[in-house]
Amino acid sequence: MTVNGQVRRAEVPAETTLLSVLREAWGLTGSKLGCDVGDCGACTVLVDDLSVNACLLLAVQVDGREVLTIEGMGGFDYLHPIQAAFERLSSIQCGFCAPGIVISAKALIDKNPHPTEQEIREALAGNLCRCTGYTKIIEGIAEACRAPVGTDGSA
Amino acid sequence: MRSFEYLAPGSLNELLEVIRDRAPDFKLLAGGTDLLVELKHGPSDPKLVMDLSAVPELKGIEETPLGLRIGAMVTHSQIQQSALIAEHAPAMMAAAATIGAVQTRNMGTIGGNLVTCVPSLDSGPVLVALDAQVTVAGVHGRRVLAITEFFVGPRQTALAPDELLIDILIPTAMLGRAAAFRKFGLRKGQALALVNAAASIAVDDDRIIEARIALGAVAPTVIRATDGERVITGKPTDDVGALREAAAVAVTEARPIDDFRASAAYRRELIAVGTFRVLEEALALATSS
Repeated sequence: MTVNGQVRRAEVPAETTLLSVLREAWGLTGSKLGCDVGDCGACTVLVDDLSVNACLLLAVQVDGREVLTIEGMGGFDYLHPIQAAFERLSSIQCGFCAPGIVISAKALIDKNPHPTEQEIREALAGNLCRCTGYTKIIEGIAEACRAPVGTDGSA
Repeated sequence: MRSFEYLAPGSLNELLEVIRDRAPDFKLLAGGTDLLVELKHGPSDPKLVMDLSAVPELKGIEETPLGLRIGAMVTHSQIQQSALIAEHAPAMMAAAATIGAVQTRNMGTIGGNLVTCVPSLDSGPVLVALDAQVTVAGVHGRRVLAITEFFVGPRQTALAPDELLIDILIPTAMLGRAAAFRKFGLRKGQALALVNAAASIAVDDDRIIEARIALGAVAPTVIRATDGERVITGKPTDDVGALREAAAVAVTEARPIDDFRASAAYRRELIAVGTFRVLEEALALATSS
């Protein structure tokens, strides 16, 4: 499969989840294992531009498809506008949910560059955060939508 | 997860051949939002998991001479975004929007939702209100069933061990029929329904000529409240009292349970409110068109 623009290969037993392959075979540990049943959204990645729970997909189901994880969103050289806004507004506390939330926010903004607060809340219904109470996360996403896109070399 | 063999047949015939050889020791993988949980944490220990995503016969939404056909592998997100569903059966979009969260709607399929057959399944009530049929196929051929015959009990459908759900049909007569859906849960996202209600209404000359009321999560399967339907059939379209009476009668047709999410008494209140609201909404749609 193509992960963050790079072709990756792995030979794994059929029962291996996409999340296991990302984390254990390829060391992409940004996507988190939270509930392991599709409730918490900490493992959210994009597969062919759709947000999905990597814990509920078998790796073999993603054979030949395109995956985006948090590692493909930004890094020390530059931050994606969502990440930059989260940093500016202190949207994150422990950070465990943040990779999944950034991916869900990207999936939303790619389709709907100017979401309402209600649309942001609905887009995050599958991402649980136990620290922040969501307010600053929602403000961060709204802020990212106001920032000019692409000035930091991303999005 | 326990180990299993994985196959992704490329056609229905190929799939049915494997089913003939391997039934009943296999599991079918649609969106996986229930099956993967079951494989990880449940009692399920199949030798073989068959991924349905490469079977073309299970895909797509299309108009046919018989009605609107929805492939079993169509996801809830695809239902939300379908122009054909928006035109012919928009209440299905309202139901799809209440399922899980974005991730689960992107993965989960309408066929998978129906086959799990939990009493609270959100796709069911609107399909019952729209008199949907389902096609099932097996080693010995195809059958068409009314959706109400497909639901047998909690986690139990009419599917034989060597059969699978192929598609759902909204019959031509029901396309564009005024219909509404309401879900009551403990919160908006990721919640199981405490009560689901759906209704469809047809009017003629300021009278209700046909009404269907469907309730979910209040009995072992999705049920039709036929006594409630009879209360309003033939009534003038401005008879709000009849809608209230129909809702009260629908309550008596349900068999809600007490559990940790809600008491049966609270569910009965929700059935009355939900039934009234979907009837009111469906009637408003029917009289405005």
